[in-house]
Amino acid sequence: MKTSRMTRGLWIGGAILIIAYAVVPVLWIVSLSFKEGDDITNNAFLPTVWSWENYRTVFASDLFTTALRNSIGMSLIATTISVLLATLAAYAISRLDFPGKRLVLGVALAITVFPVIAIATPLFNLWRTLGLYDTWLGLIIPYLSYSLPLSVYVLAAFFREIPWEMEQAAQVDGATSWQAFRRVIVPLATPGVFTAAILTFFAVWNDFVFGITLTSSEAARPVPAALAFFQGASQFSQPTAPIAAAAVVVTIPVVILVLLFQRKIVAGLTNGAVKG
Amino acid sequence: MAAIEMRNIVKEYGDGFKAVNDVSLDIADGEFMILVGPSGCGKSTLLRMIVGLEDITSGDMVIGGNRVNEKAPRDRNLSMVFQNYALYPHLTVFENIAFPLRLKKNITEEEVRRRVKDAAGMLELDEHLDRKPANLSGGQRQRVAMGRAIVREVDAFLFDEPLSNLDAKLRGQMRTEISRMQRRLGTTTVYVTHDQTEAMTLGDRVAVLRRGFLQQVASPRELYEQPVNMFVAGFIGSPPMNFLPAVVAGGRLKLPFLEIDVPEQVAGKVTDGQLLIAGLRPDHFDDARLLDPAKRERGAVFRARVDVTEWLGDAQYAYLPFDAGDEVTRQLAELAAELDSEALRTQLIVKIDAMSRMRENHEGEFWADTRRMHLFDPRTGANLTRDEAAAAELAQLERERTG
Repeated sequence: MKTSRMTRGLWIGGAILIIAYAVVPVLWIVSLSFKEGDDITNNAFLPTVWSWENYRTVFASDLFTTALRNSIGMSLIATTISVLLATLAAYAISRLDFPGKRLVLGVALAITVFPVIAIATPLFNLWRTLGLYDTWLGLIIPYLSYSLPLSVYVLAAFFREIPWEMEQAAQVDGATSWQAFRRVIVPLATPGVFTAAILTFFAVWNDFVFGITLTSSEAARPVPAALAFFQGASQFSQPTAPIAAAAVVVTIPVVILVLLFQRKIVAGLTNGAVKG
Repeated sequence: MAAIEMRNIVKEYGDGFKAVNDVSLDIADGEFMILVGPSGCGKSTLLRMIVGLEDITSGDMVIGGNRVNEKAPRDRNLSMVFQNYALYPHLTVFENIAFPLRLKKNITEEEVRRRVKDAAGMLELDEHLDRKPANLSGGQRQRVAMGRAIVREVDAFLFDEPLSNLDAKLRGQMRTEISRMQRRLGTTTVYVTHDQTEAMTLGDRVAVLRRGFLQQVASPRELYEQPVNMFVAGFIGSPPMNFLPAVVAGGRLKLPFLEIDVPEQVAGKVTDGQLLIAGLRPDHFDDARLLDPAKRERGAVFRARVDVTEWLGDAQYAYLPFDAGDEVTRQLAELAAELDSEALRTQLIVKIDAMSRMRENHEGEFWADTRRMHLFDPRTGANLTRDEAAAAELAQLERERTG
């Protein structure tokens, strides 16, 4: 097994290379966030002195804390609504044969490839007229319209995997369509629902374009946009380290989410439903 | 429990294809009815129309005296075992079986527990109640599906090829288990299968379907001995019935290997020179040398070359090729195309005693029980020798056996 040893070595080498490529920038930001004052110019990867100063600065500023609140609030609301609607829509698409089904899917796909920046300016004008400018609702609406198609696609794929017999069995067992959906289909589609929820949450959480164009104050500005308004300790110093600290803070929920739900996402829950 | 009546049931799809065509079938209360036929004959569609998963184009479906055509599956009070079991993978075995009960209102937790335990006990699932379906073997999953069916008090059980996913040994076991369970509960049961053995052993009566049409409904014994037409004769029995060309010639019937008098039942119905199809089951033959003389008298003896023999321990099959002659072969081929049946192979399969030392590629002496031979009209496929009196007697016999 000499060859296998060599391939193993190559595999490990390749894996390390790829992991390094992905992780080094992240680690760099983390390291930056711990550098005190002018330490960012120390020409070293690690800080000379590890300090929480930047985190204190970040949490002390209203700019960040309100933005964080906005981000969390809007992301949760948009995700919940999007997944709820997408679950129902995807179920209909995968199970029912209605006229215009292909059109619905086509339009959904078209929306996902539509450049976000192209509608940012028109929306800015529209929202100002309608009074939605610089409000949570004004951001949640475009978030929904961009995340819904994606969720529908993910969920429709999951629903299609669930054998028809599951529902038919439930119906014969005495369930109404709604009971069959809620007690059999939804539990089986849980991995899909979580996948869709996480993808939506990430998309909304990371949004910058809408966040910067459709807000003007702390009323609705999300974190990615707020980072651009950060100021250094003095007027003349770059706020690089506090921005790094804020970036680390906003990454944490994402990491936690993935760690919590990765098993749910990966689990092939339908295993064992039918003879396999 | 209830009787199921079907009156002129038709299932027509959007493209005009009729999957089920004018089927009328009465299933008595407590009866075990088998629906059998080749794939695409409409048997599963018919079952799904009974349970309500398929719309009925026309006709009446009456369960327990009520017309149920427009009722949703959940209002029909039936239970069904699916071919792939359709267990709920996110629920434990206990919850899978309890599922139908959980959907009912005003049923106490103790009652649910008791009934699930009862069903599980009957199916020997007690140790597996906390496991998920994914961790069960095929036979266990099958039993869970049955548990879910019997936990409620339903009007009828419906089975859609429930054993087709199991291996041969398990299939035999489960077959007896289903049979025992049905006898014990006495619930009306409709069972779809394409398996010969299941059809013959399980049912009180068997309904044979072909391309949406009901061919014959009778006890397994009657189907085997008095089939109404060539299709039923050829479908029931394994290996299948041998079909031989038989030409009427002046009061005599000429078959490959044999020439006998025209049987009296058909004497008036056939004309000279007409081609008929003679049906002889493999077990209507034997090795002439091992036969006692009294039995030998009752049939015809012929010599033929053995092509292949198959020894199975308890029985032995010999394959005898025959030359039908150009004219007859042509007619047979035409007939096969018309009947859309398998090409009539010009070989005879005969069952001979396992003790027989018949050798391949040698001539042997065979005996055929020509009294049990059936004659079919090649145009219509109708059985010209069906003995209604004998059929009625068989039906009576069946009633006495089960009643």
